[in-house]
Amino acid sequence: MGKPIARGAAAIALCGAVLGLVFSAFSTIDYTAHLDRQLHAVRCSFIPGAGGGADEVAQNACQAALYSAFSAVLRDRVWGGIPISLFAIGAFSFFAAFATYLLVSGPRAPRRASQFLALAGWSPVVVSIVMAVISATQLGSFCKTCVGTYVASLLVAIGGTLAWWHDRQRARRGPAATGDDGEPAAAPPLQKLGPASLIPTWLATLGLFAVAPALVYHESVPSYAKHVEGCGKLESTADPKKALIHITPAGAKQPVFMVVDPLCATCGAFHQRLVTEGIFDQLDTTLVLFPLDSECNWNLTTPMHPGACAVSEAVLCAEGRALQVLEWGYEEYEALLAAGKGKDGDKRVIAAIEKRWPTLKECMGSKEVRMRLDEMVRFTVTNKLPVATPQLFVGPTRLCDEDSDIGLPYALRKLAPALAKR
Amino acid sequence: MNPGPIIGSMVGAALLGGALFGVSQQVGAAQERLRKGVTVVDQPKVAVADDAEADYCTPKFKEVLQRVLHACGLVSGQRRGCKPADVQRLAAISDEEFNELFAPLEKRGGVVMFADGSDKLDEDATKLVDELWENRRGARYFFVVARASKTGTRKFNQALSHRRANSVKFRIEDHFNEPDLDKKVGLLWLGYDFAQLGKAYCSWNVSKPGKGCNVEAINRSAFISWVDCRL
Repeated sequence: MGKPIARGAAAIALCGAVLGLVFSAFSTIDYTAHLDRQLHAVRCSFIPGAGGGADEVAQNACQAALYSAFSAVLRDRVWGGIPISLFAIGAFSFFAAFATYLLVSGPRAPRRASQFLALAGWSPVVVSIVMAVISATQLGSFCKTCVGTYVASLLVAIGGTLAWWHDRQRARRGPAATGDDGEPAAAPPLQKLGPASLIPTWLATLGLFAVAPALVYHESVPSYAKHVEGCGKLESTADPKKALIHITPAGAKQPVFMVVDPLCATCGAFHQRLVTEGIFDQLDTTLVLFPLDSECNWNLTTPMHPGACAVSEAVLCAEGRALQVLEWGYEEYEALLAAGKGKDGDKRVIAAIEKRWPTLKECMGSKEVRMRLDEMVRFTVTNKLPVATPQLFVGPTRLCDEDSDIGLPYALRKLAPALAKR
Repeated sequence: MNPGPIIGSMVGAALLGGALFGVSQQVGAAQERLRKGVTVVDQPKVAVADDAEADYCTPKFKEVLQRVLHACGLVSGQRRGCKPADVQRLAAISDEEFNELFAPLEKRGGVVMFADGSDKLDEDATKLVDELWENRRGARYFFVVARASKTGTRKFNQALSHRRANSVKFRIEDHFNEPDLDKKVGLLWLGYDFAQLGKAYCSWNVSKPGKGCNVEAINRSAFISWVDCRL
């Protein structure tokens, strides 16, 4: 009965390790694909390697996880950082090898082996718990690939614990167990414990496995230094009519120009990324509102974001609370865009603004605020900017669109060395 | 002999080696794509922010205004404004065709009316100039086409229409702190020589609506408008 349990425990750990290896490998492939600075699909399924299909919520959760600040380390030193899934690949490779060793060795393996697996096997679970808490509290969603890795980690831990528990049971029974006839039972001899040095040796090997892929990745990742500065510069930062909005937090040290549309989802996500990364508070921001709404922006013939002009006016009217109103626009963009569609859409958006920000009622629609918004759009004409949002200029240099997600900390560090990651 | 350690080591080495090889391959492939870059064909075309371009910006309209812009100093910066002979020569079109070009600006622009023999902007005229100037939106150029009625000599009326055009420009200059005004405002003064307005223009956005507008009165004027064309 003992051998099947010990081997069964090793088999469970092996299954978990292989599953974890596959999930983390696909995660790494998805991440590494982005090193060409283009957008790529993200695999998102409980079936390792399968796409997310039409499940948009699941797809968004995996993209949110991949683009988040928690998906990689050293993100301000290496473009995109070093994905944490690389450490998982190494660790699961080790556990797969170790579980194979236990499975093949059976009772011939030293008792230290099951003790080690029981101890070290919980380390992926600890990491999984940390990542799950981050997913719940910071990202607000769980990506299927990540959940798959959590389950795999748990299997490794269960396998290790089961092996250790079985070993303990056998040790307690010991060779003194007796049979029905009162004679000592023909129990298999207890395995050797093995030298204590085995555990630190295996731990060191686990560490080596865990960091090796990351080291290879770090050494082979291409240089991006020349790419981050190749996306243009502002021709003129002049604002003779003082139309632009200035947002200067107490710790601001880096002047930037930010071209945004208050009803643009990407702008909201980008803003959130800057806030989460602790970057926004270090920026001395000059805000250029560029609503993608033909109501006030002559660069469009039809409104891409109906209602964006009205929200932009609200931001301008808010003066000292401009950032609050802008962030409200980002949060409520779906409802506001829906309200802005169709006949009298603008009136519905204005009503929503007035309901939330009643004090702005007098100012909105005034000649002065409309002229100021015109000046902002004209700022983009003077600088021949693309009709797109968001755009961030660090000093006069434009942050490339390709650097606005996983490459953001690296690109900002290159463009603005003064920006220290908090 | 227990084969477990050997098999375990071999599995470990194979998995780690495979992982390292895979990582290296993936990064290498991405590096190659990065080196080649996205081709121009693959890149989505993104429009660049520009001046407004309204439906009335017909090729003929733009052609005439382009000539005026170049010859009357807005682009070259050599001279300021165009006198009647210049306009007639540059436009190379008849009076009616010239006026017809401005017809689409009926709602966008306005007619600032002056008293007989005067180049002074009264209160209504000033208000209209301010209103229209402030309603710039995406336009780049502001045109002032000043005229005079047929009372008096040709020379006198040419000078008078010139002063009327300047009155509009000075009002903008004094009241609005507009940088590079000379690059935005195009002045044309026609005297009574070219492109006189008909009575139908009394129904446009005039500074003295319903106050005895006739052919003489409507030509004691300056037509002003932002032009929403990429010239």
